[in-house]
Amino acid sequence: MKTLLSTVSAVGLALAVFSGGSFSAQAAGTLVVGTDVDAGTLDPRLARDSTAYRVADLVYAGLVHITPKLEPVPDLAESWETPDPQTFIFKLRPGLKFSDGSPLTADDVVFTYSTLLNPDFSSPIRALFTPVKAVTAVDAQTVKFELAAPYAPLLTYLDVGIISKKAAESGQDISTKPVGAGPMKLASWNRGSDITLEANPDYWRGAPSIDKVTLKVIGDNSARAQAFEAGDLDVIQSPLSPQDITRLAGDDRFGNVKMAGLGVTYLNFNAKDPLLADPKMRQALSMLVDQQTIVNDIYQGVDQVASSLILPSSWAYSADIKQPTFNVEGAVKLLNELGWKDTNSDGILDKDGKPLTITLATHSEDPNRVQALEFMQAVFQQAGVEAKAQISDWPSFSTNYVQQGKHQIALLGWLNIVDPDRLMYAQFTTGGPTNWGGYSNAEVDTLLNEGRSTLDQAKRTEVYQKAATILASDLPYFVISDQGYQMFYQKDLPTEVQATPRGYLRGLIGLND
Amino acid sequence: MIAYIIRRLLLLIPLAIGMVVVTFALLLIIPGDPASVLLGQEATPEAIATLRANLGLDDPWYIRLWDYFAALAHGDMGQSIFQSQPVSTIIAGRLAATIELAVVSLVLATILGLVLGVISAIWQGSIIDTATMLLAQLGVSMPVYWLGLLLMLLFAVNLGWLPAIGRGEPLLDALAAALSGRPEVLIKSLSHIALPAFALAVNSAAIISRLVRTSMLEILREDFIRTAYAKGLRRPRVIVRHALRNALLPVLSVIGLRFGALLGGAVLTETIFAWPGLGQLTISAISQRDLPLIQGIVLTFAIIFALVNLIVDLLYAAVDPRIRLG
Amino acid sequence: MQLPKALRNTSLVVGAAITLTIVLLAIFAPAIATHGVEQMDMRNRFAGPSFQHLLGTDNFGRDLWSRLIWGARVSLTIAIIAVVCSVIIGTIVGLVAGYFGGWVDLVLMRITDIFLGVPAIVLALAIVAILGPGVMNVALALIVVAWTEYARVVRATTLVLREQNYVQAARALGARPSRILFKEILPNALGPIIVLASLGLGTAIIAESALSFLGFGLPPPTPTWGWTLAYGTKFIRDEPWLSIISGATIMITVLGFNLLGDGLRDVLDPRQLSRGGGKS
Repeated sequence: MKTLLSTVSAVGLALAVFSGGSFSAQAAGTLVVGTDVDAGTLDPRLARDSTAYRVADLVYAGLVHITPKLEPVPDLAESWETPDPQTFIFKLRPGLKFSDGSPLTADDVVFTYSTLLNPDFSSPIRALFTPVKAVTAVDAQTVKFELAAPYAPLLTYLDVGIISKKAAESGQDISTKPVGAGPMKLASWNRGSDITLEANPDYWRGAPSIDKVTLKVIGDNSARAQAFEAGDLDVIQSPLSPQDITRLAGDDRFGNVKMAGLGVTYLNFNAKDPLLADPKMRQALSMLVDQQTIVNDIYQGVDQVASSLILPSSWAYSADIKQPTFNVEGAVKLLNELGWKDTNSDGILDKDGKPLTITLATHSEDPNRVQALEFMQAVFQQAGVEAKAQISDWPSFSTNYVQQGKHQIALLGWLNIVDPDRLMYAQFTTGGPTNWGGYSNAEVDTLLNEGRSTLDQAKRTEVYQKAATILASDLPYFVISDQGYQMFYQKDLPTEVQATPRGYLRGLIGLND
Repeated sequence: MIAYIIRRLLLLIPLAIGMVVVTFALLLIIPGDPASVLLGQEATPEAIATLRANLGLDDPWYIRLWDYFAALAHGDMGQSIFQSQPVSTIIAGRLAATIELAVVSLVLATILGLVLGVISAIWQGSIIDTATMLLAQLGVSMPVYWLGLLLMLLFAVNLGWLPAIGRGEPLLDALAAALSGRPEVLIKSLSHIALPAFALAVNSAAIISRLVRTSMLEILREDFIRTAYAKGLRRPRVIVRHALRNALLPVLSVIGLRFGALLGGAVLTETIFAWPGLGQLTISAISQRDLPLIQGIVLTFAIIFALVNLIVDLLYAAVDPRIRLG
Repeated sequence: MQLPKALRNTSLVVGAAITLTIVLLAIFAPAIATHGVEQMDMRNRFAGPSFQHLLGTDNFGRDLWSRLIWGARVSLTIAIIAVVCSVIIGTIVGLVAGYFGGWVDLVLMRITDIFLGVPAIVLALAIVAILGPGVMNVALALIVVAWTEYARVVRATTLVLREQNYVQAARALGARPSRILFKEILPNALGPIIVLASLGLGTAIIAESALSFLGFGLPPPTPTWGWTLAYGTKFIRDEPWLSIISGATIMITVLGFNLLGDGLRDVLDPRQLSRGGGKS
């Protein structure tokens, strides 16, 4: 079942571990990275887990590369122009080659994007390219993207790895035997256990300074941290348990990078629920969320208290936009104004003889979210709101509950918010595909459409700040925390470390921006 | 004998069909849509609908069930929804790890059980007996995952003697490597399997030790043992030569039964120790609603379960001539 | 069964003592609890034992002693419901299969085999996922997994009892099958059932905690032992106390049931070989 190659590499690792006890296996320019899940596929068009994204970023190269500051810079594309807001023309670098030696041309780019856009191909990221009407090859070096409407965020999504049309059409299974034009290529993949990559000398920037990267799958956060402490891993990164972070940060054997991440943890209020239809009700309940305690005690300060829908890592961020903050008296006062009073002195507010009852829901996989929910439930209860906690596993919770709009208040998160559009457009426009709470506000609709149709960043900043201000008082979402990104590495790594909030690894193999 | 084996194997067919149907029925009503889980939160409802249709999830249940059996008749367990590989390939890749863990565990449990059982039988009624049996009782009273985590905390984290998680080279390969002059490979494999195998073995060891004790006590009272003493044979020799051999018979059947229990118990143990076996796969398949994979796993367990029972019956007949298969 | 003999059986006495203590703690939980079961104190998380908090506090600063004795109520309730229902279903199936034999036996035993063959964890997780977490649903998940064992044991016992003279006599006298089953056979099969049920209570408690560990237990803030231990395992590296205390609580309780079961077996049927329970 195992290839000879993988056996040899595992034996090599065993030797390294046993000959020297606890030091990292980086003698020959290798890097061992801990990861939380195995990749589901190595096809960049179908990638959906963090490991698949991180491997794809190394095995493939896209038209653009996204820097740690979230700016798109040329990768396979040498340059691009936008003759009008609905057309993007990319010029490829000359002499590009896939890792199998075959040339990479505009045809491969067109093939990658046209398959990705095909509904039957079921790419998880197809929704990000909805406004793209056509992708065509002008000549072997030039690709044209035509849009149905101006779409500003497009560039930040064009880092999708370009696959080899020839390999794919010859029936090669791209998902297990990837052929890309990135800095590394696949050496071996032991399902459920590890993925090993080796340097690709054909990458246009030349081979990276690290010869070999191994991603070892260790599902449990704490077990991964322990393997890192034991020297079995060179690098570990989010998700990590808050307790482990505190301990590792205090250990001077390890380097430590902490930065604002690209995710949020939030409460989804169901605006269609009769009880929650009134924004005042949502405001009152938001005031019962003790963000400080959740972030500092439960997440132990890894994440940050959030104040609005625009992330601190974004160019559109403004500290002046503020959601309601924790204030139990204020919340109760507001609830009283809405007619909810404790008339029968049972400690629970009531109106027309009915107690104020609400269901808080989250999924069981994330112990931090479960704890946050249990904590909120207790605070709600003390304030006189009869709160029920509902916890089920992710498939039940997401597909049969929140996404069907059956929830009242749900605790969950969004990731990869590289552009403000990605956290707002589909979520808050009337009838938007992920507007599960059924929120609708004509003014917000207009602003969000404006935000994606202009390429002027100053204008976009203004528009998103306006929208975020309205949403901070309308509260279809209450953002609890902005997720932090955390990486630890052994201090004796052979290369300089440049981290990105997405946890991509190019900055660890000598390919800094 | 061969006719018996064939008949037993034929009986496996209705059992497997029944298990597939029961699992199918459960998966039919379980909430959670694999298409939606696969596509992630950002997917549009249209994209989810398309994928559902392409996966055949919208077909009526009888067509889906029929299709499954039709494919199964050709030896095809279908394609995993989440890992772009055939179910049979995925399971084959994991099965060896689980069987390795279960076998090592069983060997460990049998050795521990025999030693503890014999010790407490010889010193019946003494403090040693009481202590050993209390230990055995505690062994069956602990949640396996809790024991696993405590062992990991002690031996891997605090003492640093053993790796906390993962698997080394497959034991057979490691053995071959050791024979060809690389013992460190075998040492690494053994160090990886030690904690999960022990955590998994404790429960069975406890059960086996109690059985060995009871069975030894009965035999030590029998006439031929007294005769052996009377002939002047010394105590250890009597115990090993005569008593233990006769006490082994009932133990054997339980050891077979425990193998099935160990495979089941492996689910939690594998999850804790990141052991890349079927148990871990079961949990992840359920948590993703990878329906064909869940079906395949259940079917695999059915076959193993039936085969182990058959082997136990055959062994039992081979050891005890009084039992006749028919 | 004479009383003095029963009292001389150490397992029985110790097991009964532990079980009785836990049951009394559960019954009088409201009186014995020193703190409100949901009363949080985030500034006092993971506190060690003190006069204020006998067993320290949990990850929300709640009093662990109070949570555990309230949790005894929940965990015992689930275990008792699960075992009683499993016993009823298993006994009926076993009696009918064993007494009537033939195709009835064949069909019932094949169904039993099917439930025995599907991995318990798949069955239990699927049922909780379908019905949602709740006391009855978690109990139901445990029933679906556990009833087969009772069915097999009762069937085996029935097969033996069916051939006994007094049963044959009743049959010859034209007694109805239901009468024979419940008046003649069942009372004589009760011994093994009681023993098995006592061991089954321990198994159910462990199984409930395993479900919680996998995230399929009762939702918070219900103070179940399973949740307390599941939370404890998350903090085992830095705050091992929580998981040690809650794990030990489960272990001692299960030990009580197991000792009780073993003791009962010795007293009720001294010749039968011991075969322990305990699945996880």
